[in-house]
Amino acid sequence: MSAQRGIRIDNVSKTFSARGKRIEALKNVSLDCAPGSFTALIGPSGCGKSTILRLALGLEVADTGSVEIGGEAPRNATSAGVTGVAFQDAALLPWRSVEANLALPLDVLGLERARYAGKIASLIELVGLAGFEKALPGELSGGMRQRVAIARALVTDPSVLFLDEPFGALDQILRRQMNIELQRIWTETKATALLVTHGIDEAVFLADKVVVMQSRPGRIARVIDVPFERPRRTNLFSDPRFHALNDEIATVLHG
Amino acid sequence: MADAVDGSLADGGRRGWAIRHWAGLRNGVVILVVWEFLGRFGLVAGGALPAPSAILARFWLDRGDYPEHVVATLWGASAGFLIGNAIAVLAGMLFVLSPVASRLSRGINIAIFSVPSIAISPILVLTLSGMAPRIVLAAISCYFVTMTATVIGLTQIDQRTADVIRAYGGGRWKVMRLVRLRSAMPVILGGLQVAAPNAVLGAILAEFGGGGRWGLGNYLLGSLGRADPARLWGIGLVATAIAGLAYLVFALISQRVTGASRAVTVTTSVPPLRAAGGDNTVAKVLLVAGSIALPLILWWVFVKALGVPELIARTPYGVFEHLFLLDSSPAARAKLLQALAQTLPITLVGMAAGLAAAFLLAVSSRLYPGVTRAFMPIALFTQTMPLIATIPLLVLLLGRGWSVTLWITISVTFFPAFITLAQGISMVPRAALDVPRAYGASAWKEMRLVSIPASLPYLFAATRLTVPRALLGVMIAEWLATGKGLGNLLNQSRGYLDYGMIWTVATVSVLVSIAFYQLVVVAERRVLGRLGMQTAE
Ligand SMILES: Nc1ncnc2c1ncn2[C@@H]1O[C@H](COP(=O)(O)OP(=O)(O)OP(=O)(O)O)[C@@H](O)[C@H]1O
Ligand SMILES: [Mg+2]
Repeated sequence: MSAQRGIRIDNVSKTFSARGKRIEALKNVSLDCAPGSFTALIGPSGCGKSTILRLALGLEVADTGSVEIGGEAPRNATSAGVTGVAFQDAALLPWRSVEANLALPLDVLGLERARYAGKIASLIELVGLAGFEKALPGELSGGMRQRVAIARALVTDPSVLFLDEPFGALDQILRRQMNIELQRIWTETKATALLVTHGIDEAVFLADKVVVMQSRPGRIARVIDVPFERPRRTNLFSDPRFHALNDEIATVLHG
Repeated sequence: MADAVDGSLADGGRRGWAIRHWAGLRNGVVILVVWEFLGRFGLVAGGALPAPSAILARFWLDRGDYPEHVVATLWGASAGFLIGNAIAVLAGMLFVLSPVASRLSRGINIAIFSVPSIAISPILVLTLSGMAPRIVLAAISCYFVTMTATVIGLTQIDQRTADVIRAYGGGRWKVMRLVRLRSAMPVILGGLQVAAPNAVLGAILAEFGGGGRWGLGNYLLGSLGRADPARLWGIGLVATAIAGLAYLVFALISQRVTGASRAVTVTTSVPPLRAAGGDNTVAKVLLVAGSIALPLILWWVFVKALGVPELIARTPYGVFEHLFLLDSSPAARAKLLQALAQTLPITLVGMAAGLAAAFLLAVSSRLYPGVTRAFMPIALFTQTMPLIATIPLLVLLLGRGWSVTLWITISVTFFPAFITLAQGISMVPRAALDVPRAYGASAWKEMRLVSIPASLPYLFAATRLTVPRALLGVMIAEWLATGKGLGNLLNQSRGYLDYGMIWTVATVSVLVSIAFYQLVVVAERRVLGRLGMQTAE
């Protein structure tokens, strides 16, 4: 995508009330993702990571505060086709083949499928699902379905990319591979990326900035900059500086 | 052997299938032989149960009569089926897209659900002409089932996939088009499956209302007086075959479609509550008032638009006038009250007995799973039998006293209730049953702790479902056999051309049915609310 867009979350609070109980999912959260930056969100389960994503996509409305994508309200940005998203659950349509699932964002945005045929084929190749174009989600493994969801997030060449634990169901080796692929794609597209993850090493490997959250109420505990030069290679995983940063984040997480 | 039944071994699975089908075939043959024996020697109700061979022989003699009757009924039923279901699916979509429309139409929906079709059959015949009454009644008989199925199918979607659509800026219509419609297909097809026999029944009941020479309903009425059980059975079986075929066709289609549309993982999100009007009390009151007024307005518009003379086509005011403002009103009220006093008690007793029996059988089938397995096919089969096919037969078997009414009510209540309950109970997760069992609970204790409470929502759902059917059953029995109650009053007024009374009986029977239904809904909310349970559809 040509124009670069950042994500701006300004002093946002969000409370859910379910069956009489009130849950403060987010309290006074502010987060600024510069255009073209890579941000990782990490934190204990239930601290509001997915909620941040859903607010940024306009799926939830904040009680107070404001959310902007490239200076626009989320609903405007999403319907302009600026964003791409892979949810925590793959959320594929069970009656659509892999190919057709990839085309879903195109159908929603009213884009012509035929013009994206090459794009779809190369994305399927990229996530290692060549040969499964016509398969239905029910015939795929959990990890394969997640890879379809990742490919789907990329199909519109988004300038802002949201990824909610996209590698959760993958094994360690595949996960590393996908991390490297994701870095490559991100470098090529210069998209602004916001990644939710439970893996500290994954966050440090990929991000410019790791945002550590805490729960009850959901809030940002600390933002840690990652200084390593790019492109990052797999040998970074065995670098002592890498481990030191991992340990620092772990301390904030558990402290 | 367990493997064969599970089908977990490819070969064993095929063998299990063969064994099951062989058992079905064997049971069928045994039943036929016993039936033939009973019929041959006139052992049941003095020959009211003819032997299958006698029915076949009669059918062969009558074969020249059937085609025209069948074609006429099929015509009305299929046209009504198409129109009614098209409207039902569109209405279901509208209700899902617009909560306000859904609230406003509640009155109409309940009225259409509750209307005992026999009560409006004379009215349709008075106000419409030609095939129209049959088509309309068949359409009305389809509408509610399909509309409800559509709404359920469209709302019970995987919220996560809807989120994907919304995340790309898609609105309600996009979610409808890309997710809801396709994911609702199996449920809608299930609705069509049930609607098919309803359409046949509707078309036949409209034939009862008068007019027309052809149609299975006319054939049945014409043959009723001729004390020829074999012919009545033949007509009943043909009607059942038509309805059953329609049911099968949709069952096959839905089996095709269902495979791919199940969500791969279990969704955990609760569909958002849709509260039209929000917390605004004024808006809520307006919506309720609107939903009550709308059926009356539609009725009024219907009558005015047709331009039928006022004497024949009564407005809501006309009915009120008939009951309260004329010199003849006290007499009319007395007649009506007397009929109600005959109809209501037997409806209530029959329903209670039918529901209780269904509840006991369904709950105990947890203890004896074989019972459900053996009984379910029969229960499902009765669902495809148009009510009208069975009632003359029951009249033959039981005579024209009150016992026939009671048995009809029990049977129309029992079967659908049993199906609803048995399917509901089978959805109780195994894990929930395993917990008490893991602590060594006896079968009875497990039932008391899990099965019975878990089936309560389905008992209420079954009760709601059977209220109008019970009233319909009683009224048909009264019309055809016993000469008592509302059904008879309706038939009599038709004979005397007492238009005021025809409209009054129709109105009152719909109101009674709605009142019953609402009572059940209120009780259901109270009880399930206190137990923290969800209502079942
Ligand atoms: N629709 C909802 N209704 C009620 N509560 C909600 C809703 N969505 C989220 N919550 C609550 O908000 C809190 C944050 O949820 P969220 O899904 O953002 O957590 P998360 O950080 O993504 O957790 P995880 O790592 O397990 O995915 C949780 O306590 C959750 O129960
Ligand atoms: Mg989450």
